[in-house]
Amino acid sequence: MVNKKAFLLSSALFLGLAGCSTAEKEETSSDSSSGGGDKTVVDVFQFKVEFKEQFEELAAQYEEANPDIDIKIKTVGGGNDYASSLKSSFAAGEEPAIFNIGGAVDVQQYHERLVDLSDTKAAGAALEGTLDSVTEGEKVLGLPFNQEGYGFVYNKQVFEKAGVDPASIKSMEDLTNAVKTIDSKKEELGLDAVFAMAAKEKWTEGNHGSNAFLADDFNNKALDAFAAKEVPFTKADQFKTYIDLQNKYSVQPVLSLDYSQQVEELFSTGRVAMIQQGNWVYPTIEQMDPELAENVGIMPIPVDGEMKMPVGVPQYWVVNTKVDENIQKEAKEFLDWMYTSDEGKEAVLTKFKFIPAYEGYDTEKISDPLSKTIYEYAQEGNTKGWTFLGYPTGWGDILGVQLQKYLAGEASWEEAIQAAQAEWAKARQ
Amino acid sequence: MKNKDFMFWLFLAPVLFALGTVVLIPLIYGIYYSFTDWNGVNQAEFIGVKNYIELFSDQGFLNSLWFTFKFSIASVIVINIMGLGLAMLVTSYIKSKNLLRTIFFMPNLIGGLILGFIWQFVFTKVFDAVGRATGIEWLQGWLSDSSTGFWGMVILMSWQMAGYIMIIYIAYLENVPKDLLEAAEIDGANAVERFRNITFPLVMPAFTVSLFLTLSNAFKIYDQNLSLTNGGPFNSTKMVAMDIVQTAFQLNQMAQAQAKAVIFFLIVAAISLTQVYINKKKEVEM
Repeated sequence: MVNKKAFLLSSALFLGLAGCSTAEKEETSSDSSSGGGDKTVVDVFQFKVEFKEQFEELAAQYEEANPDIDIKIKTVGGGNDYASSLKSSFAAGEEPAIFNIGGAVDVQQYHERLVDLSDTKAAGAALEGTLDSVTEGEKVLGLPFNQEGYGFVYNKQVFEKAGVDPASIKSMEDLTNAVKTIDSKKEELGLDAVFAMAAKEKWTEGNHGSNAFLADDFNNKALDAFAAKEVPFTKADQFKTYIDLQNKYSVQPVLSLDYSQQVEELFSTGRVAMIQQGNWVYPTIEQMDPELAENVGIMPIPVDGEMKMPVGVPQYWVVNTKVDENIQKEAKEFLDWMYTSDEGKEAVLTKFKFIPAYEGYDTEKISDPLSKTIYEYAQEGNTKGWTFLGYPTGWGDILGVQLQKYLAGEASWEEAIQAAQAEWAKARQ
Repeated sequence: MKNKDFMFWLFLAPVLFALGTVVLIPLIYGIYYSFTDWNGVNQAEFIGVKNYIELFSDQGFLNSLWFTFKFSIASVIVINIMGLGLAMLVTSYIKSKNLLRTIFFMPNLIGGLILGFIWQFVFTKVFDAVGRATGIEWLQGWLSDSSTGFWGMVILMSWQMAGYIMIIYIAYLENVPKDLLEAAEIDGANAVERFRNITFPLVMPAFTVSLFLTLSNAFKIYDQNLSLTNGGPFNSTKMVAMDIVQTAFQLNQMAQAQAKAVIFFLIVAAISLTQVYINKKKEVEM
């Protein structure tokens, strides 16, 4: 009798456990449509949370036009989470047909999974330079998402009231003078300071800031940075001037100032005139204060008396070799449709609000002022490469840490730069 | 008798199963991976103890180990003093002691990540505003240098854990027989002597438990660290758990991170077990 009860109890427990596991399974695979048996299922595992809904809408549109295709989209939040969940899904034997990689470093890491995409229309239409870091000989292993650019995002109204013409800034001296002028009038302008320098975030200066001064060392190519055994840092002095300028005229203490304080609390409320960020801050500013958002502009970081906008491709789409060839083909077709068909182009510009990385787009439709400026720079070819995509893994953070040490007075400028250079050499042994 | 054996294992089975799948097997896997060059994607290749040797020259790891060590000592002391103090307060004859117990325990119910953000606001905004208004300098610029980062972490951790530890002390304090204390009082012992010679030895078992809990928790802390300072400035407040996560998921050196985790596991186990062993010897039975 007792025996029987015990058996019932333990089997109930087991059932409970089993119940949990099946429930989880369902959650991961039960996206969108009903998924009929004879449909070709294309699993997409993507990282860009910001455009999840718009992307799903576009996929639904594609499914309507191609009833035998089922696009299943899974979105996992940016940065680290994405890479680690992608890896665990590989480890669990779930192979998405389409996923995202970041650039040259990722190409090496995921190499065995990348299908050659050189026969796609999108690869043919990609703008010059955007395929550099995913090209291997004749092979094209990824298709660019979009383009992004960064520099000093500034408040046009503040500049106007202070009597500074942003178009007249052509060099670091001009910028320094402009900053001094604004600083002297900050009481009337209602500013806390000229800059908000987010030194808590290692990537703002470690990746983006440094790239402005390192790009020339690597011929503006991420691939050159990727192959470099050492980092020469020939423009370290200019980099120092740039860091010091921001730090001197920033809201303090910079070391505990983070991205959200910088963009939301200080810039969007008009308490600072300028921040070093890119076009990705626009939706946030627009949400915080639509009026202020109409008055933002972006200018490049001056280097060598030149104003060149660092423009690059943050992410690539890739197709997985580990799925059926049939599915690979469908995956390519979907990506082609997204970037080269009229419906796709329309969505890329107006719904995704991307700066396109492909030819044949009506640029008048780019809606936000930052993206527009960046696209103009890109069209004129007045750009710098995103060489930080070719830094050794994590080196941007290492440099960021060294800069924090410098800002905290724990290390001299030379010590900080040398320590970062030594880490680079170590990583590339 | 045989029947009983069967029953014994049957009842144990679910727990053994759960423990095996989520603790034992991952542990064995982890130790195996620490001897390979696995990066999360490639096929793992066996490379012996290379990962472990490299650890000793990894300044970042050694720094975070040292920081974690300092942090643990400071927070164990602060938490236990606060916990015992609060417990004595709410077992004394003050009014509203039940309400106070609830209030002191409440921080423990909030998740570490959220607590980190709350305290980040308190340190960088409230402290700063008060500091500016009163002209007190040390209240300004919290979390922007390593010492305020350190104390920020200790304060956060103490605030969260003290209430929990208080509950443990309360349980033991209420079991201290009143007649013993009364007898001592009649014999002329003052409050300090009564505490040192009667209450303290009888509460010793609570110390064993509390020290174990605070020590192992302080060592393993991650979410509070992530949300309060994120290791900054210049990685000076990066604890071991965070260093391991970053090695694994930012640098993609899974095997290296696994080696760190194994070392970390051994250190935490050794310290906790030694502490329990020493404390056990000091306990007195009634």
